[in-house]
Amino acid sequence: MGKIRIVTDSTADIPAELREKHGITMISLKVLFGEEVYSDAVDLTPEEFYARLKTSPVMPTTSQPSPADFVEVYESLLQEDPEGPILSFHLASVLSGTYQAATIAKSMLEEAGEHIHVIDSCSASYGHGMQVVLAAEMAEAGASVEDILAAVAKRKESCQIYFLVDTLDYLQKGGRIGKAAAMIGSLLNIKPILSLEPSGAVTSVDKARGSKKAMAKIVELLKNHFGNQAVGLIVAGTDDEVIRDELEARVKAELNVKEVSYTTVGTVIGTHTGPGTSAVFLYKV
Amino acid sequence: MGKRAINGSDFAAMALLGADLLKRNAEKVNALNVFPVPDGDTGTNMNLTMTSGITELKKKPSADIGKAAEALSKGLLMGARGNSGVILSQLFRGFAKSLANHEQATAIEIAAALQHGVDLAYKAVVKPVEGTILTVAKEAARYAVQYARRNTEVPELMEEVYFRANEALQKTPEQLPVLKQVGVVDSGGQGLVYIYEGFVQYLSGAALDVDALASEAAPADVYVPQQHVEPSSAQAKLETLDIEFFYDMEFFIKRNVSGTPVASFDESAYKKALSKDGDSILVITDDDIIKVHVHSRKPGDVFNLSMQYGELTDIHILNMREQHRELLAEEGVVSEVNLAAAELLAGQAIDNRPAEHGFERAPYGMIAVALGDGVAELFRSSDVDIVLTGGQTMNPSTEDFVNAIESLSAEHIFIFPNNSNIILAAEQAIELTERAVTVIPTKTIPQGIAAVLAFKEDETPERNKEWMISAASMVVSGQVTKAVRDTTIDGVEISEGHYIGLKEKAIVTSEPDLLAACQALLTSMLEDEGDIVTILTGEGATEETTSALCSWISEHYAELEIDLQYGGQPLYPYVFAVE
Repeated sequence: MGKIRIVTDSTADIPAELREKHGITMISLKVLFGEEVYSDAVDLTPEEFYARLKTSPVMPTTSQPSPADFVEVYESLLQEDPEGPILSFHLASVLSGTYQAATIAKSMLEEAGEHIHVIDSCSASYGHGMQVVLAAEMAEAGASVEDILAAVAKRKESCQIYFLVDTLDYLQKGGRIGKAAAMIGSLLNIKPILSLEPSGAVTSVDKARGSKKAMAKIVELLKNHFGNQAVGLIVAGTDDEVIRDELEARVKAELNVKEVSYTTVGTVIGTHTGPGTSAVFLYKV
Repeated sequence: MGKRAINGSDFAAMALLGADLLKRNAEKVNALNVFPVPDGDTGTNMNLTMTSGITELKKKPSADIGKAAEALSKGLLMGARGNSGVILSQLFRGFAKSLANHEQATAIEIAAALQHGVDLAYKAVVKPVEGTILTVAKEAARYAVQYARRNTEVPELMEEVYFRANEALQKTPEQLPVLKQVGVVDSGGQGLVYIYEGFVQYLSGAALDVDALASEAAPADVYVPQQHVEPSSAQAKLETLDIEFFYDMEFFIKRNVSGTPVASFDESAYKKALSKDGDSILVITDDDIIKVHVHSRKPGDVFNLSMQYGELTDIHILNMREQHRELLAEEGVVSEVNLAAAELLAGQAIDNRPAEHGFERAPYGMIAVALGDGVAELFRSSDVDIVLTGGQTMNPSTEDFVNAIESLSAEHIFIFPNNSNIILAAEQAIELTERAVTVIPTKTIPQGIAAVLAFKEDETPERNKEWMISAASMVVSGQVTKAVRDTTIDGVEISEGHYIGLKEKAIVTSEPDLLAACQALLTSMLEDEGDIVTILTGEGATEETTSALCSWISEHYAELEIDLQYGGQPLYPYVFAVE
């Protein structure tokens, strides 16, 4: 049995250095401003993207990779080592057809595809990314496919995700609003406390007047869940550092945070959440 | 004089004079409002309540005092506005119950009836406060009972009632410190004293041509606010065919029509029979008349059922599907023709539908009371189905609430009165409807907004109630208005025309300048900190003041978020919420 290879897509929002360090193969989704097409995490930096998002007369749209894109990647990996398993982790299937495309690609490869494991992360952004990084670390340490998949499932189970958006407009326009739809239309400054369901679908667990109350509620929810257990924290921001930094400070003040890392919400996820999005991902360590 | 008993005609004349005196003094009663705010409205509320009673009394004139009192009581109950109005309606409800079946009443019976009214009113109020209309009524009744043991003359008894009521009224400042502070007597108590004074006027013969008065006090000259009932979202979601029990029926069953034997009436069995093929059932039973409201598929069956109990009068039937089609057409949802055609194509003849198939209601409905188009819009945008808006100094009546409740197609309905003087009228509406209704006793618009936002569709009514009440208690409410007279209250010296700032119920500042008043009020409201301040701009707010205020807040409270909203509320240029 050969070496385990890790494949993911650009919506895992894994910082480039980390991706390169672990030799993770990434397939990009696309962001389209009208006729202009950009590869997520390749062509357009998040800074450029958010600046453009605010001023662009056309709303960007996104598109998933085709099965052929996956076939190409899988084939080149199989050429290097036909026996080595491939773990391919993707954006929640309730949010995107990316997982579907990967699954089709695997079946197109027929027998050659039998070493490919396509996994629905049932999550997004770094909720998805942390599964990929964990898998890569374990693969490097020589763990088996079964152990890796079991550990990833456990990590997903323990992970708590909360995010705040400036406005629900982007989630609504992109059709990813889920149960947060109930809050559309209020004239008052209401901040929904957003999270992901076990399937990865967007949901609103609560709401608050203004960002400060919203952040306080998120910390309260996290405190109720983790208590004093040691946790790892990933903070993801966009163009609004004020909220991101305050959220990080509040979480650190109330929870037993052992390790912290940072990432940026990429252009594809950002298309659907909008500017001013901040997220925290926590897991047991 | 020596009248030893009074009958229904006497009582009607007494009530008319009482109502007239109250009406002529309504402004005086308004002026007794403890706070020097411009929307003191006890007089207006009591007058409208009484007017509703008189209208009913005139509709059902009777020589029997029991029936006359019952008519007055029914009208008062439905027309009750404001806390004093509700208490007034309960006083006369007890009075009427005690005299039920009486053709006339003697002094001792009247005294007992007054006492019974007091007993009921005390029961109706959750936390009775002494030094109010309750105390005035109680003292008057207590002395009346004593007096009637020794005397049999009704006019003298009524004079005693009036005298003792007035005496108790003058003592209200001793019982309620806030009255003493301001130097006024209780406004509701004063209203009641005027009514008793009217009673005495008639009985002592000092009055006046009652007939002339009657025409003068006709209901037409009373301003009744147009309650603006928006088509509810729950209603708009409804398909026309979903309105299964679509004949909206309202009628009275007259019992004891001479010469016609009628079956004895069992209210619960009757309601049960109606509910087999109908809903929104409201039955108000009286000894000689029963008011029925029902939505039914088969009006004929309802009439056949009801006719065995007496003669039917005042019959109104409306086809609600027709109304609904018109409503949808008005909203531009679908054309009338298309809808009717769709129903035909669907082949849904009414009687082919299984009777047990009830139409689906939304799980929850919300009714809020608000002044100001902006505030109303804020509530609607937050999923409130119906916003009841009174006029300037007008509170919605119990009947307004009942109508709003009945118009909503929802399993459970929450009401947000948003004013301490509206809570009782809303709570009284619960008893007059079959629907599941919970009043969240919000006393201010900010409390109402906080409560509405705490609502969770997928939780139980009980938990929602708990959360909403707790959310309302977390917000600090502030209001700025102009003082209508000079006074000193809570150590704050107030001059007429100055801007006063109220933090919850307490006046914390009085300033000649609007901006200064807002700043002083906010400073007080922010003593215990807060994360967000909501500013509702009303009539009298200026862009200049608003922007100066926002800069001032950002400067002094850099961490505070500001949510600036147009409220459009009259009399209060600014309403604040700190959370």
